[in-house]
Amino acid sequence: MSSAPQSHPDEIGFSIDMTVRNEWRNVDLLRTSVQNCFTAVFADVDGCHAIAMVTGELLENALKYGDWVSGDRAMFRLRVNGMRNDVVEVSVQNPLRRDDTNAQALLSAIESINSYPTPEAAYRARMLQIAQNDDEDADLSRLGLVRIAFEGNCRLSAKIEDNTVTVIASLDLRGA
Amino acid sequence: MENLQSGDLTIEVAETDSLFRCTWKGKSNERNPPEILRPWFDKLLAAVGGKKGSIEMHFEKIEHFNSSTITALIRLIQTCRKAEIRLVMVYDQSLKWQRLSFDALRVFEKNDELFSLRFA
Repeated sequence: MSSAPQSHPDEIGFSIDMTVRNEWRNVDLLRTSVQNCFTAVFADVDGCHAIAMVTGELLENALKYGDWVSGDRAMFRLRVNGMRNDVVEVSVQNPLRRDDTNAQALLSAIESINSYPTPEAAYRARMLQIAQNDDEDADLSRLGLVRIAFEGNCRLSAKIEDNTVTVIASLDLRGA
Repeated sequence: MENLQSGDLTIEVAETDSLFRCTWKGKSNERNPPEILRPWFDKLLAAVGGKKGSIEMHFEKIEHFNSSTITALIRLIQTCRKAEIRLVMVYDQSLKWQRLSFDALRVFEKNDELFSLRFA
C-alpha cells in the first residue's frame, strides 16, 4: 500500500485574484488583509509586511492615475500569487484613458528605476530629487514605485493592453 | 502645541525644556498626507522656533506609512534645516520596514547636526 504524497511545507502556494472597488479606504483594507493572510501562511513577518506594502503602494498608484470617469471599473484588479520561500508576484490592473500620458510616465519611471545598479541607488536618487523640488506635488512624486523596488526588493514591470495598465512587482523571498 | 488627529493617524506632542517630542501612532495612509501634515508641521515649527527649541519625531509605534508620507518627511527635514531647527527621527531598528525606510534618510544627514537619525 502506498502512502499519499505529502507536500513539503515550502511548497505551499497561494493566490488572490479579485476585482476591487475604486475607493481610497479599500487600499488600507486590502493592505492589512493581505498582510494578515500571508502572516497566516508564512513565518516571515518582514516578508509579509513587504508584500502588504507593495500591495498598498500599487493600489494607491492605480487609484491616483487610473481612469475612474470613463474607464471600465471592473478592470480594477488585484492579483497576488506565488509560493512560500519563492518569488511572489503582486499585480494591479486599472483602466486607462486612450490618450493617457500617465501610462507613458509610468513606463518611463519603471525603466528609470530598473536602470540603476541597485534599487537602493534609485531610491536615494529619487529622495534627493524630491528634496530639491519643493514645489513638486506629493501626489506626483512617484516615490511609491521606487519604494516598492527598494523596500520590497522587487523587480518592476508594466504592460498596457485593452485600455488598461497592469503593474507587476516580483518579490524574491528566497533566502529572505 | 496641539496633537494631530486625522483618520488613522495620531501625533502626540509633549514639550520638555524646549524639546518637542512628537510620537506617531496608528497609520498614515491618506491619499495626500502632506495636505494634513504640512499645516501641522508649520504650527510645530513656529512653536519650536519661538522657543529656540528642537524636535524629536518618534516612529517606533507607527504601524504603517505610505510613500507620500515619506515625501512629507523629506520636506520637513529640508524646512527644519533652512530654519536651523534641530530635528531627530527615532525609529525601531528591529522592524525591517522601519530600518529600510529610515536608514535611507541618512542621505540627508550632514555635519551640521541639524538632522539625525537614532534607534529607539
